Amino acid sequence: MELYKFLPKTNCKKCGKPTCMAFSLDLLQGKVKVDDCPPLLEPKYKKQYDALKELLGSEEGQQKELKINIDDKLCDGCGICVTVCPVNARYCPSSLSGKAPEYPPEEHQLFQVIGGKCELLKIEHCRRLDAEGRERECRVCETYCPREAVKIEYV
Amino acid sequence: MKRFTCSGCSLLCDDIIVQSDGLFISEVIGACLKGKERFDLVSAKNRIISPLIRKDGELKEASWDEAIKKAIEIIKNSSIPLLYGFSNVSCEAQDAGIKLAQKIDGFIDSNASICQGKIFNKAKSLGINLTTITEIINKGDLIILWGANPAETVPRLLNKVLFSRGKFRMTGREIKTLVIVDPIKTASFRVMGVRDLPLIIEPNKDIDLIRMLKEECCTANSIPSQGVAGIDKNDLKRLLLHLTGAENGVIILGQGVIQPHPDYDLVEELLELLQMINKRQEKGRISLLIMGGHFNMAGFDHVALSAYGVSGHLEFKHNQMVKTEDTLVSKIEKEDFDSSIIVGTDPISHLPHSLSSKIAKKPLILIDNHSTATSHIADVVLPTAITGIESGGLAYRLDQVPIELNKLLNPPNNLPSDEELLNQLHGLLNKGGSE
Repeated sequence: MELYKFLPKTNCKKCGKPTCMAFSLDLLQGKVKVDDCPPLLEPKYKKQYDALKELLGSEEGQQKELKINIDDKLCDGCGICVTVCPVNARYCPSSLSGKAPEYPPEEHQLFQVIGGKCELLKIEHCRRLDAEGRERECRVCETYCPREAVKIEYV
Repeated sequence: MKRFTCSGCSLLCDDIIVQSDGLFISEVIGACLKGKERFDLVSAKNRIISPLIRKDGELKEASWDEAIKKAIEIIKNSSIPLLYGFSNVSCEAQDAGIKLAQKIDGFIDSNASICQGKIFNKAKSLGINLTTITEIINKGDLIILWGANPAETVPRLLNKVLFSRGKFRMTGREIKTLVIVDPIKTASFRVMGVRDLPLIIEPNKDIDLIRMLKEECCTANSIPSQGVAGIDKNDLKRLLLHLTGAENGVIILGQGVIQPHPDYDLVEELLELLQMINKRQEKGRISLLIMGGHFNMAGFDHVALSAYGVSGHLEFKHNQMVKTEDTLVSKIEKEDFDSSIIVGTDPISHLPHSLSSKIAKKPLILIDNHSTATSHIADVVLPTAITGIESGGLAYRLDQVPIELNKLLNPPNNLPSDEELLNQLHGLLNKGGSE
């Protein structure tokens, strides 16, 4: 609904969809892009176009790159991110019960505590890039870090 | 790959992967910052690797024979030596320390007596059940942190008890409710979700909350509308619901509750509340976990219990244990000692100035592996191997479970372990006595 607010709401069908509502739903699922709506590109809708771009920043992976930053000064290696990460949990059974995952790390593994600090091994299999639907909005590592060291950013 | 037990704090994580060539440690995987620092101690700058003795007011390197001779001299010239520390050494060394105290008619105490030992003794006398980490992981559904901040003191504790998935339930964080009672918003508050209950209490008002809960548990539904100790009425209702509804609750007590008060005993009242809840509860129970700091803080009580049937401090006269009313603090306050043997701790920086200055006045023998404030004022410093890395031994985890520590490296300069050194002193004194 939030996306719909920023659309022209004229139901002009220029994008190929029957209504602006249908377009906004497809936009949410990532089937179409903001640029697919011709009226939005007009100078009159410039403000709404920018707002939409900002809102959809997370969904449009091609334009902005996902970065998970771990602040080395804040991190104390408690390993909560290692345990809560759903990708880690699926591929490293030992991290299910709070134990440190095996070393050398498994192929899909995201986080590992090395030398008292948490390190991001690889980002390819992160749910924000590699999952479908609601799972793409995963933010558990950022939410549960007690030191607020993990930050998910798009740059 | 073989997993190694870390001796960085009282959690004794047994899942650390250490890569080493037998001389140095190249990589530590899985340990938190505290554990990493323990492993770093092996080659740290402040490590002491040769004995030091005080000559003309200055600490100078000496040979082992010289240092031991000086130590024996100090012990022989003193009638009531004070033995203190023993929470950063193995249980075997604690046992050797008690034997040494018996030999030299000393007063022996561990860090636990001014720390978490008090709660352990109270829980034992009241019959509160203690729980283990595995039990909480597998079955726990309510975790209360009272005056404890594990996110900063025992970093991996929250990871284990709150976020791990148990054996019987494949859910972790989802079914566990976290309640934190603390006067300040600590780092542990940041792991809370919507279902959890953060209670920011006014300082020194814990007792009001406990007394109110004690009444409420029996009568229900008369919570004062203005709340208690700065806590909202609705939050109190939720707290009561959690307390009486938990199937496998655990209360984790930290440093915040052990400060003594002249009018009441907070720990006792809190444990009585637990007892009351457990009695009233039909299906569930709440058990206790004591959060200590040093890695073998719980051990001394167990060793003293098995050796002499008394937990906490022991006093010896004529090589026999005598009953004593004295505690470590009263002993130092009265200056009822004439030398001190400090093992693996740093009383000069831990104790308040009024006490530490009295320790500093008397001859001091320090047995430790790195330089501290105490090592700068000691008369004899006897360096030892690091327990858990350079020597093995038994240690008690914070949930009173004994865990075997292993040896990984050889100590530099062939340093003896704490146990060997204490036994050596004991043996030399034995020989001297018979002559």
